[in-house]
Amino acid sequence: MRVERENLFHLVEPLLSRVEHPARYLDHEWGACEEQDGPFHLCMVYADVYEIGQPNLGVAILYNQVNAQEGMSCERCYLPWKDVSELMREKGVPLLSLEGAAPLASFDAVGFTLAHELIATNVLEALDLAGIPLTSSERDEDDPVILGGGPSAWNCEPLAEVFDAVLLGDGEESIVEVCSCIRDARAEGVSRAELLRRLVGVPGTYVPSLYEVVVDESSTRWGYAVPRAGEGAPEVVHKRCVPDFAATPALAQKIVPYAGIVQDRMSIEVLRGCARGCRFCQAGMTYRPVRERPAEQVVSCGVEGLLASGHNEISLSSLSTTDHSQCEQILHGLNSALEGRGVRVSIPSQRLDSFGVDMAAAVAGARRGGLTFAPEAGSQRLRDVINKNVSEEDVEWAARNAFEAGWRRMKLYFMMGLPTETDEDVIGIARLAERVLEIGREVVGRGVKSGVSVSISVAVLVPKAYTPFQWCGQLEPDEVRRRQQLLLHEVRDRAIRVSYHDADVSLVEGALSRMGRAGFSLVRRAWELGCRFDAWSSEFRFDLWLRAAGECGFDLADVACEELPLSARLPWDHTSPGVGKGFLQREWLRAVEGVTTPDCTRTSCTGCGVCPTLGVSNVIWGERS
Amino acid sequence: MNQPFDARPQDLPVKAELARLRVRYHKDSRLAYLGHLDLISTIERCVRRSGLPFSIGNGFARRMRVQFSGALPTGTSSSCELFDLRLTEEVDPREALERLRRATPAALAPREAAYVPGRLPALEAWLDRSSWEVTLEGDGIDAASVLSGIELVRAEGVITFLRGDKEKHVDVASTLVGASAASGEGSGAHLVVETRSGSGGSLRPQVLLDAAVRRAGLPSPDVVRVRRTGQWHEEDGRLVEPFGPFCTPGPTPLS
Repeated sequence: MRVERENLFHLVEPLLSRVEHPARYLDHEWGACEEQDGPFHLCMVYADVYEIGQPNLGVAILYNQVNAQEGMSCERCYLPWKDVSELMREKGVPLLSLEGAAPLASFDAVGFTLAHELIATNVLEALDLAGIPLTSSERDEDDPVILGGGPSAWNCEPLAEVFDAVLLGDGEESIVEVCSCIRDARAEGVSRAELLRRLVGVPGTYVPSLYEVVVDESSTRWGYAVPRAGEGAPEVVHKRCVPDFAATPALAQKIVPYAGIVQDRMSIEVLRGCARGCRFCQAGMTYRPVRERPAEQVVSCGVEGLLASGHNEISLSSLSTTDHSQCEQILHGLNSALEGRGVRVSIPSQRLDSFGVDMAAAVAGARRGGLTFAPEAGSQRLRDVINKNVSEEDVEWAARNAFEAGWRRMKLYFMMGLPTETDEDVIGIARLAERVLEIGREVVGRGVKSGVSVSISVAVLVPKAYTPFQWCGQLEPDEVRRRQQLLLHEVRDRAIRVSYHDADVSLVEGALSRMGRAGFSLVRRAWELGCRFDAWSSEFRFDLWLRAAGECGFDLADVACEELPLSARLPWDHTSPGVGKGFLQREWLRAVEGVTTPDCTRTSCTGCGVCPTLGVSNVIWGERS
Repeated sequence: MNQPFDARPQDLPVKAELARLRVRYHKDSRLAYLGHLDLISTIERCVRRSGLPFSIGNGFARRMRVQFSGALPTGTSSSCELFDLRLTEEVDPREALERLRRATPAALAPREAAYVPGRLPALEAWLDRSSWEVTLEGDGIDAASVLSGIELVRAEGVITFLRGDKEKHVDVASTLVGASAASGEGSGAHLVVETRSGSGGSLRPQVLLDAAVRRAGLPSPDVVRVRRTGQWHEEDGRLVEPFGPFCTPGPTPLS
């Protein structure tokens, strides 16, 4: 028997006076879809707290898409913080949706967004709080169908046993088809096994239970997945892709939160995809092709959205907003339409050239906070390896322009542990930061009062599936720490502030990024031992992860730092974003040789394979500068 | 409409000359759990959605010119919260109220709006008297026992309590005006508590009740519900309603 659908807010309300940030659990926000009549009910879960999950655009897009369908409803759910989940377990209150305060187990389908690898234990925590069996094989006929999707689905094998189906690529293309398929199969009364077989018929839907893992001499230790005989599952599931972005609603976020959230502003996705080809970047490979939203649509929907929501800030989001061929037109249009209304326009990061600085100036008005650039590597040689097509001169130009335009604080992002990296490259980070600081002092003046400062943030490269670096091993944690110390030692000026990622967190992320299906035992054991909210530095428990790995027979460093043969069949080869393996192999070889590859939106096709494989193409409305 | 961004400072409107619309609103049901900062941003968004010609400050951050009555403790509901909104042009208060109502969640619905003199002090400092309805539910809890606990606390003069890790003190003699039993729906002890805020601090009813229950040796109540039902300005022993009449425009500092 399916758990009964009923409003159980009265069970949560008495807990609110005893918990941190009760506004997380209130619902009834402006713009939320309170009418949830169904009869088909989907619940989208972002397995972190409300203020982290609510700004997620993916959930918002799918929420609108499903709620717009006749006979379908979509609600939201976020993971309660530890104080609440403890009370819920104590009082026997199951995990509830926000809108209808209905038990998650009462829904027809429950969808999880895999925003990053470290959300894995939270997915298990959400299912357990909901009283839903953790794995597909443990669920019975009446349990909800558990769906997954999102940016980290490109290696979802460590969670493959959890999901009944994974939606690859642009979820708005397939979510309604998947929901219809589940609804119809349930109406016909077919078995759960048959329902899952039918889901294979929806393009872009990967049903893990219909594949088995084969380990042989052609594979890594994790093996590769092949369709089970007679189940009708394809050898490779290709992602779904929105061909015409202009035909999709520009305004996805209609819910105005009560509680302060991490990105407390209205966000408009101005383009999807990026073809710059940075070789470490998973999103740059998996979100291709590049599809711009036309300037008129961005401006008119932006203004309309602000009036309807009451936000005082609008963010133009994408992987590289200043690459939009109509970026200038969009900013000009928004600035003139919003003049005098106390509304701020923001763009997430700046291109490393004078155009980037011009655009930053266009959105900043009279404000000059900090400006962020991402050179990613400290030497030209290494920037060529990673295909970050910016030169030393670009960085210097951008810095000089920014200081001249009034900025005083510069933030520079770098990565450590990039392939072929040497101590000289690490020292190069310090030298580049010093050069930027020196330019600032030349322009603004010396002395503390000039206010010129540079902060550098150094992440650890985590090789991800479907990038040209997917074959290379992550840097050993001890070596990460040695290079971090080297950098700290090399930075001598107090006006340069250095921060870096924790080597242990990166190690767990690295292991989860490249494990195959057998990695689920590690995730499950870590969760059983108490790992939750692993992406929160205050909550991350490396000791528990080490213990879980030991009990499961894994060595985290060995898993994350292993180099994989270029010819090996990989655990994620059966789920494809359309980028060809041959292209990635070529890119890896070019990386090692330090040969760069241009951006196909500015030159000609570079042969990544996405367009012919998926039958789509780049959509660029103007001329990219 | 709102002032343009690029105006010269001497051309920008002076705050005291702007119309000052005072709005009374409720804070009901689950939105009682909305913290004060979240409430402020929520109301600002309601004002923006309403399309009223709100004024923007001339400071660096260009914020909306709106001021709120004192923070309500999280979890406490109210029928008498207030905010003052500066408008660049006067809109009929009935129309302004209607536009705000359409743009506001029902649990924060505005109930009354009128223009007040521009030079009155800021709401938070000006409103120094509050009335609260309190309901306590639980075995062994009755109004008379709680009231006797309150009298014992009053006799002690000061309540010492913890907020987070910090020890706080509040002077009961100056902040507690009175407490009495009241009739109310449903089971439990119903009380009315009158408080005053000032140099002795401000007394949260929950703090008073916790101390009273402890002092009277009563069991901890299962449920405590608190609702603010009135706010006033106290002047020469007389209570001035938030919407007036105002007797002394006086030499009070500009809010």
